[in-house]
Amino acid sequence: MKGRVAVVGYGETPYDRARVERGQPRLTAEEYASWAMDLALKSAGLSKSDFDGQGLGVAGTIYPHAEIWSAEVAQNLGITPKMIIRADQGGAAAAALLTQGALAINAGIVDMFLCIVADAPLSIPTASASGARTWRYENDYMLPFGMMGPNSIFAFIMRRHMHQYGTKREHTGKIAITQRYHASMNPVAYLKAPMTMDEYLSSRVIADPIHLLDCCISVNGGLAFILASKEKAKEITDKPVYLLGFGECNNYTHGSKNRPDVTYLGIVKAAPDAYKMAGIKPQDASFVEIYDDYTIAVLMQLEDLGFCKKGEGGKFVEQTDISINGQLPVNTHGGQLSAGQAGIGGGCSHIVEAVRQLREEAGQRQVKDPKIGIVTAIGGLAYGVNLVHNVVMVFGREV
Amino acid sequence: MSASSETAEQYWSWTKPEITSLNKPFWDGLRRRELLIQRCKKCGEYQWYARANCIHCGSRELEWVKSSGKGKIYSYTIINMVVGNSPIFNKELPYAVALVELDEGPRMYAMMTDCYLSDVKIDAPVEVVFKDVAPDLTIPMFRPVKSQE
Repeated sequence: MKGRVAVVGYGETPYDRARVERGQPRLTAEEYASWAMDLALKSAGLSKSDFDGQGLGVAGTIYPHAEIWSAEVAQNLGITPKMIIRADQGGAAAAALLTQGALAINAGIVDMFLCIVADAPLSIPTASASGARTWRYENDYMLPFGMMGPNSIFAFIMRRHMHQYGTKREHTGKIAITQRYHASMNPVAYLKAPMTMDEYLSSRVIADPIHLLDCCISVNGGLAFILASKEKAKEITDKPVYLLGFGECNNYTHGSKNRPDVTYLGIVKAAPDAYKMAGIKPQDASFVEIYDDYTIAVLMQLEDLGFCKKGEGGKFVEQTDISINGQLPVNTHGGQLSAGQAGIGGGCSHIVEAVRQLREEAGQRQVKDPKIGIVTAIGGLAYGVNLVHNVVMVFGREV
Repeated sequence: MSASSETAEQYWSWTKPEITSLNKPFWDGLRRRELLIQRCKKCGEYQWYARANCIHCGSRELEWVKSSGKGKIYSYTIINMVVGNSPIFNKELPYAVALVELDEGPRMYAMMTDCYLSDVKIDAPVEVVFKDVAPDLTIPMFRPVKSQE
């Protein structure tokens, strides 16, 4: 499947937090979906009608919280697709649309797939649970037990990583600070002001050891990308970005099901599959875009991707320049920590950024002479473990 | 947070689980001061939280059995801010939640109680305590096991 499908266009709206009093718009997910589609179509030089009889990929949303959502999106956009796929893999939803869309193209069912990942979690009318993402096991076995959602789950994981390997907050701090530097050069990023180590270390404690600046910033926004078969891609653009490989692993536990080592994500299983399909080693990557709901998630995935051994992520980050000027640029757009997490769409920004970098369209934050980019996605916080969905994708300019 | 659609009483009440045919034995057990977990009749493995089949072998032949209520802390967090849960937890801040490894095998998230925050440590032995947090709701919490010396 290596290089049989390419990304030929992308769109990403600016991010905001619906703070009308600060002059920010308060838009709906429908408006962001439409906006993102428009940007992606313009980027590819295509029109909406080109997708009649093709594929449409739609991610679910935190708000509105609609069970039948892809039907609504198709109607809203006015597209008549042959095939619709909908993703509910949380942070990995965009990656799931990409791999499933690519499979449908590779099977010859359609030539193109338009994938839309837009969400407006900040536009929930009240902060009540009405629009919130809900899992039965969270409602029944976590919230009554004093848990506080993802912040608290990642606190357990981070504590364990610190305990087993001596990882320090200075290590995760370098990730947060470097990503903020990247966000300062990203026009759509929500947080752009430089961050110092002191600011990081002294930021408000949320669920110790997780502090405020370890967490992604929730925003509203819309993203989209367009997939095409290799043949079709060459008709559409002279800068196709090929999907060279991917790997997935769901509901992984490292060790026994009851007592897994939570410092390993399923990325450790997905990465070798992706590398094998692409015929690369992790060190071949010009940059990596790593799903970053929390700083520690980035550090753990650097290990799971094979850039260093398990437990040595802290030392690796300490000794490696992970900025766009360095040996291994990480999250060149600022990631969800600084650019923003557009609800379920947050993980799409990593895909879009990889495509942008490989097309040399990243402006001030462009990585020099990029050949190959690795992108990860994780989603669906698990009870007592870490993340259920794990995806690794490899993109390149040449097949 | 707006409470427009709920009464003040609901707003300030402990977060309630949905009692179902699947998990009712667990919640009923807590009322009797018993911590129940599932054991597979086929392979003998334990599991928590409540499932309709054994996550180890797939058998649907499960039974609820009483846990010793003893275990040790695998990891923990100190909650400093209420996010996405009932505002009633503001009254408890800061508090520790542990991921307790029960002696039978499974891990369980639970609040630590009857101790200093500094007593909450990885590998610390703990035991269950039952807390009536509402007239109709008992929650298992854990406390450090006092050293015999």
